[in-house]
Amino acid sequence: MAKRIDVTNLNIYYSKFHAVSDVNFTIAPRSVTAFIGPSGCGKSTVLRTLNRMHEVIAGARVEGKVALDGEDIYANGVDPVDVRRTIGMVFQRPNPFPTMSIYDNVVAGLKLRGGRMSKSQLDGVVENSLRAANLWEEVRNRLNKPGAGLSGGQQQRLCIARAIAVEPAVLLMDEPCSALDPISTLAIEDLIQELKEKYTIVIVTHNMQQAARVSDHTAFFNLSGIGKPGQLVEIDETEKIFSNPSDKRTEDYISGRFG
Amino acid sequence: MRDIYHDELDEIGRRTLEMTKLVDVAMERATQSLLDANLTLADQVIADDKRIDAIRSELEDRAFQVIAQQAPVATDLRVLISTIHLSADLERMGDLALHIAKIARLRYPEPAVPPEARDVISQMGEVAGSLIEKVADVVDGRDVALAQAIEEEDDSMDALRRKLFTLVLSPNWQRGTEAAIDMTLLGRYYERYADHAVAVARHTIFTVTGTRPVH
Repeated sequence: MAKRIDVTNLNIYYSKFHAVSDVNFTIAPRSVTAFIGPSGCGKSTVLRTLNRMHEVIAGARVEGKVALDGEDIYANGVDPVDVRRTIGMVFQRPNPFPTMSIYDNVVAGLKLRGGRMSKSQLDGVVENSLRAANLWEEVRNRLNKPGAGLSGGQQQRLCIARAIAVEPAVLLMDEPCSALDPISTLAIEDLIQELKEKYTIVIVTHNMQQAARVSDHTAFFNLSGIGKPGQLVEIDETEKIFSNPSDKRTEDYISGRFG
Repeated sequence: MRDIYHDELDEIGRRTLEMTKLVDVAMERATQSLLDANLTLADQVIADDKRIDAIRSELEDRAFQVIAQQAPVATDLRVLISTIHLSADLERMGDLALHIAKIARLRYPEPAVPPEARDVISQMGEVAGSLIEKVADVVDGRDVALAQAIEEEDDSMDALRRKLFTLVLSPNWQRGTEAAIDMTLLGRYYERYADHAVAVARHTIFTVTGTRPVH
């Protein structure tokens, strides 16, 4: 089920480089939060620390606290693989396993988790996940064909199906539409609206109209200067951010006056 | 593309200011044509109103284009929506100047305003002039404090209109029904002109602050 995320005094480092400084926010369950900001401001970095995905880069470390329904995901003894199972991620470029069938792509996460499921249980998960990703009708007759044979927009929805097959609490999306055409983009945006009924969603996007359309809350990240760490400038209701933001830097950015 | 966008927003601001100045000139000439029974001046006001109307259409088209192409947000979006609204107010103010000029033309070669009403009408013309100059400053500088001052000046226009009513309704009124109707209409035109000036000021307050001023 969807969970709340609390980030407290979060600082992110890549070796000695201080990438993001002192971020604080709370994300409510069953809501969509968009991260916007210029390139290099740390929004994707912050997103990755929400499921410890930044740890795949050597030298990356965090200070501060990220809690999921009050449970610190960085506490001693917490397995990052478990964290990533609870907090799923969808990336910029659709990345289905190319040689696997559509069916096997959807259940890949389940199989990695181990534990035995009957064929009929797996069939059920595949159908439910593909339905939830609005892809079922398009692929139901070719589940054994490779995932790489789908269009870009379909592949991205397949990746979303794969992410939700393991029933995460949170879905992180790192620019999920930037490699897609406008029709596929709208399909993903519609899907996000449906998914937020069940999941907490955080999306990084460079498309501000997309942030305005799909999110309930928007966080604006910025760099205080070249070589300086990224920071959270403002987080508020999306309507407020795009109509009358409190911070002038936010207004300048969304109006295209810098960045 | 973003530079073109910001240039276009600046140009929309300049044209709005230009429109305000044309309205200013129109009202000043209309009042003068009325008080001096000057037919040439009245005809000029009537002819020049087309220029004001044209700028209004132009501003509306430009605002539509920018909204369609650039997806503006926050202040930029408020500027454009306010431009669409306030250019309609300015156009109407131009029309009211034209109506005043038409009364001057209708009564020519006689003066439309009898001597006992001259003072009030002349003062209404002055308040109208002062209002539109403030409007121009508000539009130019987006000065919220000045926008609020316009509302106060509107009250003095209302007082002048009541004075004109008192004059026409008095038992001493010797100028007949036709002149009484002219004075009533003129009072109405100046008063509406001031109301539209207030509306322009309010749109500007909304542009700057993002909240609508309370009535």
